[in-house]
Amino acid sequence: MTDEADRLIDAALRDHARVPAPARLKRKLAATYQRRERRWLAPALSGVGGAVAAALAVWLIMRGTAPTAPPPGDELASLDAATEAVGDHQRVLGARGLGVVASDMHQVKPWFAGKLDFVPPVSFLGDDEFPLHGGDVAVFRGHKAAAFVYGARLHVISLFVYEAAPGDAAAADEHTIRGFHVTTWTTGGTGFALVSDVNWDDLRRLRNRLSQ
Amino acid sequence: MRGIRGLAVVTDPPESAGSLADRALAHVDELYGLAHHLCGNAADAEDLVQDTYARALAGAARFEDGSNLRAWLFRILRNCFIDRARRRNVVLEIPDDTLDATVVDCSPDQLRYLTAVEVERAIAALPVEFRFVIYLDVEGFTEAEIADIVRCPAGTVKSRLSRAKARLRVLLGGSK
Repeated sequence: MTDEADRLIDAALRDHARVPAPARLKRKLAATYQRRERRWLAPALSGVGGAVAAALAVWLIMRGTAPTAPPPGDELASLDAATEAVGDHQRVLGARGLGVVASDMHQVKPWFAGKLDFVPPVSFLGDDEFPLHGGDVAVFRGHKAAAFVYGARLHVISLFVYEAAPGDAAAADEHTIRGFHVTTWTTGGTGFALVSDVNWDDLRRLRNRLSQ
Repeated sequence: MRGIRGLAVVTDPPESAGSLADRALAHVDELYGLAHHLCGNAADAEDLVQDTYARALAGAARFEDGSNLRAWLFRILRNCFIDRARRRNVVLEIPDDTLDATVVDCSPDQLRYLTAVEVERAIAALPVEFRFVIYLDVEGFTEAEIADIVRCPAGTVKSRLSRAKARLRVLLGGSK
């Protein structure tokens, strides 16, 4: 029995103990330490010729090779969205029922008609690994938003779909807040926040399916 | 010279540190995970990881090529954490390494569907030295490597791991 308990604890630790670094920390470290490498590169390039060096520098920037620090507003917006998503997810967990309970996206999406000011662009129908449980209307950043609820084994995963604010970053960001993992991203003016207590591998796999 | 959040002063690393910086930055998630469990909040965890990189890359010349970079970084993170605790007059609990683990039985049913929140709370309830060994074990370090990182005999690591897991059994087994 103790061996079995140890095995289960080891599995839980493997699933949940790892916490990814926030994107803003990664950007800050990259900007601090990788910029230095470029500074060492500069004297070498000057020997090749100013024009060639300048062209190369422009090319690197155009390709996005050079790390660029996003405006601080992006980081705050991402953290705000993640924090709100955790609160809303807890409300989903505590709610007595969803607005629409159905495993068929073709039943869930039409249910939102007339309840939202936009059509939530979610095409992932759910599958055996992440079955769709239903949907509801949530209030996200003071506006109506769509909440889709998926399952993963016995866990619940909430997806909040909302109209993105101008400062929202397009790239996926990740946070862990009070033990819940949250990933946020935006596509074409729509913001997405995916939140659950499943492990990061599961959450990222669902994010990939939602992004396809 | 360049300051990082007023906590550490970083000198520009030597040219040879360039590739080391890249390789070191690849481990930021792993380091942050430990910092998160040690500090208990994101702001302090980020500061601790930044201190770690500042100290590691300022002392890049001391890193021996071919040695274990991950272990080296975790050792520096541990030193930074202990230094920060001393600066804040925080007394870290030193476990009595002569004690044996008390085997506690609990139902596997209670442990089968643990959530991230429960695991995080349980780790937070462990003494700091237990959090080190548990997390380094999760990261796949051997007992000998953990012993090298936390600067204690391998037998002590084995004992701490065993006792940390025994405590987790109690904490998690009773959390449902």
